[in-house]
Amino acid sequence: MSPFDPTAHALSVNRRTFLTQSAYGLGGIAYALLQSKLSASSAAPGIPPAGWNGALREAHLPVRAKRVIFLCMAGGPSQLETFDWKPQLKALDGQPFPPSFTAGQQLAQLQNMVLKARGPIASFSKRGQAGIEISDLFPHIGRVADDLCVVRSMQTEQINHDTAHAFMNTGSIIKGRPSMGSWLLYGLGAETQDLPGFIVLTSQGKTGQQPISARQWSSGVLPSRFQGIQFQARGDAVHYVGNPEGVCQSTQRQVIEEVRRMNGLLAAGTHDPEIATRIAQYELAFKMQTSVPDLTDFKNEPQTMLDLYGVKEPGDGSYASNCLLARRLAERGVRMIQLYHRAWDHHDNLEGGMKSGAQDVDQATAALITDLKQRGMLEDTLILWGGEFGRTPMGQGTGRDHHILGFSVFMAGGGVKAGTVYGATDELGYRAVENPVNVHDLHATMLALMGVDHRRLSTKFQGLDVRLTGIAGEVVKGLMA
Amino acid sequence: MMAFFRSPFLIFSYIVFSGTAVRITAAPEKISFNRDIRPIMSDTCFHCHGFDAKTREAGMRLDLRDEAVKPTKTEALPIVPGKPDDSEIISRIFDDSDPMPPVDAHKPLTAAQKELFRRWVAEGAVYEPHWAYASLVPPPVPTQEPSNVNPIDVFIRARLAEKKIKASPEAEKSRLLRRVALDLTGLPPTPEEMATFLADRSPDAYEKQVERLLASPRHGERMAVWWLDIARFTDTVGFHGDQNQRIFPYRDYVIQAFNANKRFDQFTIEQLAGDLLPNPTIEQRVATGYNRLNMMTREGGAQPKEYLAKYGAERVRSVAAAWFGSTFGCAECHDHKFDPIKTRDFYELQSFFADVKQYGVYGDYDYSRNPDLKGFNNDFPFPPEIEVESPYLVARHTRAQDSITAHVTKMREHAQAAAPAVRMATWLDETRAYLGRVPNGWEPLRATKAELRKGDKVITERPVTVETDGTVCGGQPLANREFYRITFQPDGGRITALRLDVMLEPPAGPVEWKWPPSNVMLIPSVQCAEGEVRKLDVVFADATEKAPRFVNGAELHGVTAGWRLPEPTKRETVTGVWLLAEPLKLAAGESLVVIVSGETLPKFRMSTSRLGARDPLEVASAATLAALTAPQRTPLQENLLADTWMMSTADDAFLFTRYHQLVTKLNDTYRGKAWSLITEATQPIPVRVLPRGNWQDESGPLVSPATPSFLPNRLESTPEKRLTRLDLARWIVSPENPITARAVTNRLWSLYFGNALSAVVDDLGSQGELPSHPELLDWLASELRGSGWDMRHMIRLMVTSATYRQSSSLRPELRDIDPANRLLASQNPRRLEAEFVRDNALAISGLLDLRDIGGPSSKPYQPPGYYVALQFPERDYLASDADAQWRRGVYSHWQRTFLHPMLANFDAPSRDECAAARNVSNTPQQALTLLNDPSFVEAARAFAGRILSAGARDEAARIELAFRFALSRLPLAVERDSLTTFLAAQRDIYRADPPSAQKLLRIGLSPPTEGDLVETAAWTQLARVLLNTQEVITRY
Repeated sequence: MSPFDPTAHALSVNRRTFLTQSAYGLGGIAYALLQSKLSASSAAPGIPPAGWNGALREAHLPVRAKRVIFLCMAGGPSQLETFDWKPQLKALDGQPFPPSFTAGQQLAQLQNMVLKARGPIASFSKRGQAGIEISDLFPHIGRVADDLCVVRSMQTEQINHDTAHAFMNTGSIIKGRPSMGSWLLYGLGAETQDLPGFIVLTSQGKTGQQPISARQWSSGVLPSRFQGIQFQARGDAVHYVGNPEGVCQSTQRQVIEEVRRMNGLLAAGTHDPEIATRIAQYELAFKMQTSVPDLTDFKNEPQTMLDLYGVKEPGDGSYASNCLLARRLAERGVRMIQLYHRAWDHHDNLEGGMKSGAQDVDQATAALITDLKQRGMLEDTLILWGGEFGRTPMGQGTGRDHHILGFSVFMAGGGVKAGTVYGATDELGYRAVENPVNVHDLHATMLALMGVDHRRLSTKFQGLDVRLTGIAGEVVKGLMA
Repeated sequence: MMAFFRSPFLIFSYIVFSGTAVRITAAPEKISFNRDIRPIMSDTCFHCHGFDAKTREAGMRLDLRDEAVKPTKTEALPIVPGKPDDSEIISRIFDDSDPMPPVDAHKPLTAAQKELFRRWVAEGAVYEPHWAYASLVPPPVPTQEPSNVNPIDVFIRARLAEKKIKASPEAEKSRLLRRVALDLTGLPPTPEEMATFLADRSPDAYEKQVERLLASPRHGERMAVWWLDIARFTDTVGFHGDQNQRIFPYRDYVIQAFNANKRFDQFTIEQLAGDLLPNPTIEQRVATGYNRLNMMTREGGAQPKEYLAKYGAERVRSVAAAWFGSTFGCAECHDHKFDPIKTRDFYELQSFFADVKQYGVYGDYDYSRNPDLKGFNNDFPFPPEIEVESPYLVARHTRAQDSITAHVTKMREHAQAAAPAVRMATWLDETRAYLGRVPNGWEPLRATKAELRKGDKVITERPVTVETDGTVCGGQPLANREFYRITFQPDGGRITALRLDVMLEPPAGPVEWKWPPSNVMLIPSVQCAEGEVRKLDVVFADATEKAPRFVNGAELHGVTAGWRLPEPTKRETVTGVWLLAEPLKLAAGESLVVIVSGETLPKFRMSTSRLGARDPLEVASAATLAALTAPQRTPLQENLLADTWMMSTADDAFLFTRYHQLVTKLNDTYRGKAWSLITEATQPIPVRVLPRGNWQDESGPLVSPATPSFLPNRLESTPEKRLTRLDLARWIVSPENPITARAVTNRLWSLYFGNALSAVVDDLGSQGELPSHPELLDWLASELRGSGWDMRHMIRLMVTSATYRQSSSLRPELRDIDPANRLLASQNPRRLEAEFVRDNALAISGLLDLRDIGGPSSKPYQPPGYYVALQFPERDYLASDADAQWRRGVYSHWQRTFLHPMLANFDAPSRDECAAARNVSNTPQQALTLLNDPSFVEAARAFAGRILSAGARDEAARIELAFRFALSRLPLAVERDSLTTFLAAQRDIYRADPPSAQKLLRIGLSPPTEGDLVETAAWTQLARVLLNTQEVITRY
């Protein structure tokens, strides 16, 4: 492919194409044009895999996953209370933390403090046939252990929430870098035409909340149509998707029809190709006005389904409800679905916070995996569960501080090696010592599972080829089935 | 179907491919290094054979001719001028078995590119210096026809003539005025302005309009939108909690600068180094807010040093982007691969700003103490700041004061009316009696019960003592959520004010009293005999001394919402006074219950007064007491007495309440003052080259300020003289620096022609684009420099050119020759920027508020709950009231982490860093915004009201009028007919459903649109149609 070039894009906005046809009735076609515009390439276009209509004309690698659901545990959950069992840390509880581990390392709020080991507050059990050790705070996730690929050797570079989120989502802390979902949407397009191809849902727990930013789902230097669309818990699910008061759907339709007529007459006079695109966008907007309410209407979900996820009130903005919505989005062909649950920043009250956070996410996360599996969708849906970093094995009062040298995430579904554990931290859970996986590697691997060589998905910005993985990133074969 | 998709796709390929330069296939031109070879080399060779010594392979360097003709390590000759067959690079690029670039680089050369290389070597392999860094010498204007032709047109037409293309005819007059009005002011012409122009047959009719628009204050607002993207101006800090920062005076400075046509050199110097000028003016110091517009953090756990490194790096990127059009970003970690920008250049540029006083983390946390920010919480501002006068606020302050003066006059007239005068006389007698008993007007209270509580629980183990004079003493600081609950049984009579005297001297003893103290809160209530409690409202409270309090950066007035005690340096007693919202009269059996909270309240006592006052601290003032007791009163005393009476008795509830409403309004004008972030110079922090950009690695060399090594006339610090920001600023606008004039001119051009001359406005380096008209760009850049950096002169030159005035209709016959219209054989249509999309709708509807320039950012309607994921502090978005709801987009609140959805949907950047160019997208979100955002629906109904109330004779005339407002033209017959049919259908709908019409006509804050319900609703729908058309949001 030749990368998306914002300059060429800007130029083409003025002369997107010389359409000779009348602008009437061109809606879908103009949209397809818009989609294919990016794939401009000197090479003969290859045959894109089914469902691909983005900038990439062909898969670089076998396509194992068609969509991603990123369950983003905002705040940074502790690996020591989730997936990384450290009996030796427990034995050392309350003792000085060996300085040999920490000397010269960056700390966050524990800077200049006396460092003491803090044993895990949860017990662990071996789960599934694979016998993966998982915290007993997560019994439901334990039940799907054989579907998980747990990575215990994650590392990141950023120790504060804001920048760590940026790094986890965009592979860079420089502003304006596109997020993972935007990359996927740009490279692969979306299977749905009625809904945004990259959707973000947020929920919050009772403690340990940290702010997040729309930057995390921004398309950055890519055109804004690749940005994540955040569904709102209050008001319209998507901004401005509801008709104004006093305007019903059929009246709205008449307005859009009339706008189309006016725009069509204008096109005839000016030959401005942008008009055809505009007409198409109004059609899409109108479709969204129908499809979004349909999407968020849970009434055809049976009670058993609500119970599986633990949804109390469908559409209440809870993590459980969002997980169910994520499945509905996946069914409708949304490329990237990102859930944020803001609950994991436990500088204090780790015990209470972990319990309540686990209560929020355990059942619904497992339900999502189970549900996708029973629908035959898990095999081509890539799930990632994890935070922007982990927590220190050293205590901070009744909690733990931010930690970047070793933490855990898990993947499931689309092409990942199920029922396995990859990598390990040292005996105190301080540093990834076996098969460390950095954020770029994780991104490269996720793209590989989607059929994309991370080095070949790029955009031109300020004269440079920008990539999700920058100039780094190795595909971790050990995570792939 | 496939074939149908395929063919436009091929067209796109062509655009993208040829978009970088106009290349015409006619006669074979001589190969130009800059035009033909450098872009390919930059993309495919320099990564391994370019500037960065660390990644150079095989000892081969191709960016310098001297190096490229030397033998490599393997004795190969990369380039033998004139002899392609002997040149290693030529044989390798044609070598299919082991090609260059290597296959795994995924950058294969096309056959045409290979051929270009071969011809270039054959023609002698002539190198040229990179165009953007070369000295700026004004090129001669090609001679042509009449001498008064705008040189822009001469250059443009020369290229067109070469290609035998005719320029397009001038756009029709109505379109031309609409175009230039939108370009120069961001607003459409009014129907009157259009009529004047159409009637003006003089040869310079158009030029007169240009002058009118340039002189309009709207011009500065329009240009500010452009510069504020570059300066990354926002209302919030961007990182983590994304708190508000106070800097709108900087935005107003930018608007004024453009309105006054401040020369760009001065503009540059003031922003980068205004504080270093001799005796800097307030304006010049406000301008230095530029250096403070980098994102900032207050996140707990963030390390100051790490964030100072981030701020420093961002500043380099933004300054380089703004003034050099260069991308310094990659040089933070390594020498630039494609341009001669070295890592050292990056840190040397950064070190110019090492004196900018700033904190890595804007908090005083346990893990990193910061005495400068002692007591700061998430609501505090981000110093250093300066307090300045804001003309906007001054105007409002004056207005608010005037209305208070008028209101007070009314209150005094009321006091003189017959019946009130009698009541006042009675009150005066009572009050004198009261003062006989309580000469100073304040009746001390002695608690009948004093408890320490936490929630409902009484903490009995820590009894509260009450001394004989009423002093309450709890003995030790209160823990979280603890408070005093004190019960009084006053002797009866009225209570209008409560007073709390706090003795700051901490009692002796082992207990540690922490300062700064927490907020004192006072909540008065009345408990009836049965025990039921009702809260008393407080209208305003203030204190003799107080530490400032903020809510998300905004200073709070008085102490109503909490009293932050000052630090007890003098061990004095401080006093707070609370004015009740209505005077209280306790009934039999009722008691006064006051809750007092605050961590550090060593001792306090309370009193009440039955006297009121306009200001809490004036209750029972000496002047008041004198007026009350004087046997003969002066007119001043008469007035004071009348005021005191009203404030003590609320004799007229409306007058009393209204007074306090007006005071609230007055307070919100902050005496006409506002704070603004500024640059304060301090001892420069050491700046060193950070290996791989790692702030923890201190092994790199220390650097001093120096201008970029690859640009002419380099300035370097010496051990004797460290260069300053002022030196940098002056060097940037010196005649020897070629790149700034080019970068600025190039960007400016895109405002009026859709594309810049070198289309990659943020990278004039070798990965960017050779300008479509290099001589024109250099001529214009020279003109900017030569005119003394006169921006208005440049704008005038551009918009009066014939090139600008051409029709923007597409030229189908040029589709193959110039698909991206780089030769400018016609104008380019341009979709309006986000701010102007909304401004335009408001202007058309008549809602747009153009009363004032500048002022605090306004908040257009925004969907609820949008900030729910923001914390520290948590916040809700309160849309501006009618006083500021319909202001221009340049004044919209700019929240970096959650930009207003309307702005974001129309491609406004979050301004986290310098944004030199905006995307222009076309999305369903834009359609949804125009269709359903209440701002646009309200504009539609106001527009409908405007059309219907204009007294047009019939429907056709009304449609005509609507077109004049919205599109500055008359409707075509087919448009009119279509809309007539539409209107009839809408009428039927709303006739059948008047409640819906009513709902539609109430959207937004402005009063419901008047007139016949059904008719207005139908016209609102028509207005929505027009406001949604492409023509309204595009300047053609």
